[in-house]
Amino acid sequence: MISDDDLLLYYYRDGLDPTARARVATALAKDPQLAQRLHRLVAQLDTAAEMPDVPVPAQIQQRWQAALATRARPRPSFRWQAIAATVALLAVLLTVWISMKPAPEQVAHDAAPAAAMADSAAYERGLRWHLANTEQRLANLDSAQPDERARLIATIIDQNRMYALAADRANEPQLARVLRAFTPILESLTDERRETSAADVAQLSFELRVMQARLKAEASPSSTAQSTAL
Amino acid sequence: MLTSLKSWVRPDSFHAVLSERSVRWYNACLRITRDPDLAADAVQEALLKAWDRRSEFRGDSELDTWIHRIALNAAIDLMRRRRPQAMEELSAELPMAANSPHTEYVQEALNRDLITAMQRLTTMERQTFVLKHIEGWRLEEIAESLQTNANNTKQALFRAVRKLRVDLHVWRGES
Repeated sequence: MISDDDLLLYYYRDGLDPTARARVATALAKDPQLAQRLHRLVAQLDTAAEMPDVPVPAQIQQRWQAALATRARPRPSFRWQAIAATVALLAVLLTVWISMKPAPEQVAHDAAPAAAMADSAAYERGLRWHLANTEQRLANLDSAQPDERARLIATIIDQNRMYALAADRANEPQLARVLRAFTPILESLTDERRETSAADVAQLSFELRVMQARLKAEASPSSTAQSTAL
Repeated sequence: MLTSLKSWVRPDSFHAVLSERSVRWYNACLRITRDPDLAADAVQEALLKAWDRRSEFRGDSELDTWIHRIALNAAIDLMRRRRPQAMEELSAELPMAANSPHTEYVQEALNRDLITAMQRLTTMERQTFVLKHIEGWRLEEIAESLQTNANNTKQALFRAVRKLRVDLHVWRGES
């Protein structure tokens, strides 16, 4: 006896193993009443599927068109925006770092040993070059091929880590921390699917602004006087 | 309408498919959700998803079919997320056939019985029936989309068919 369930699966050509399928096929070929049963079954189910289409309300159509138009509008890629934001951040970092440096006359009055001063000058020159160079490389990044882009970013990340260590040794922990904070942002530039870098960039931008504000406050006459008195 | 990969990436051809086929997508989603708002949301979600993933469209099926499938999956997903609000009546939205009074009466009666029959199905039974009998999905595909296994899907289909046959037998003269 062939069940309606088996007949149905036979009709769908889905869900029956080859043996069961062959059994139903043989039974259908031999038994016209079974074939009629299958026909009736399918006809009933087709009736159930006959629910007429309803029209789409005009405002819904308009909503879809508008949503699609908005989505299809050309816009800069996220990666491009992230690169631009990172370049801007580096420019700010460079400015902040330069303003952090003591004035030449102040350095001259310090009684630091000559060797240490030479080390410090080399570190500063190197860091200045690194920041400027990174800024320039990032600006050209979007036109690079994916492999080249990944290689460039890896190089920048390595150099950035090196200068973060150097900043630690130069007793500039704030600068070291900011340099380290660039690493995840730089890593995100190689991964188009990552969505967190916009937030990272915003956070870092905020920290740089705070650092800049502190430096300005320290450079003001009152704080200078206070600092001298101390 | 077979839209090639090259023309597909253009927004205007995308809009053209939308104008031409959206009624079909909307109604397919409506059969899954039984909720006009959810169906509209599902189509919009599918359109935007399809646009974002247009580079993945290989052109080995029609664009319409591709979006249709994304829309059905979006409808199932929306039902899963917002199910408590998803059981609104559809009767007010069903169109009347513009035929003779008798045909209108018969059509209206059939629609009414169809609605009643569909309402007696559980969500899983209805979705399985629609995806299998109307949309022609494989049982494994339905199971994956409904996050269940093929056997559960098969049983849901059998239950749906039994219920529908009881409710609709008069429309096919079965005594």
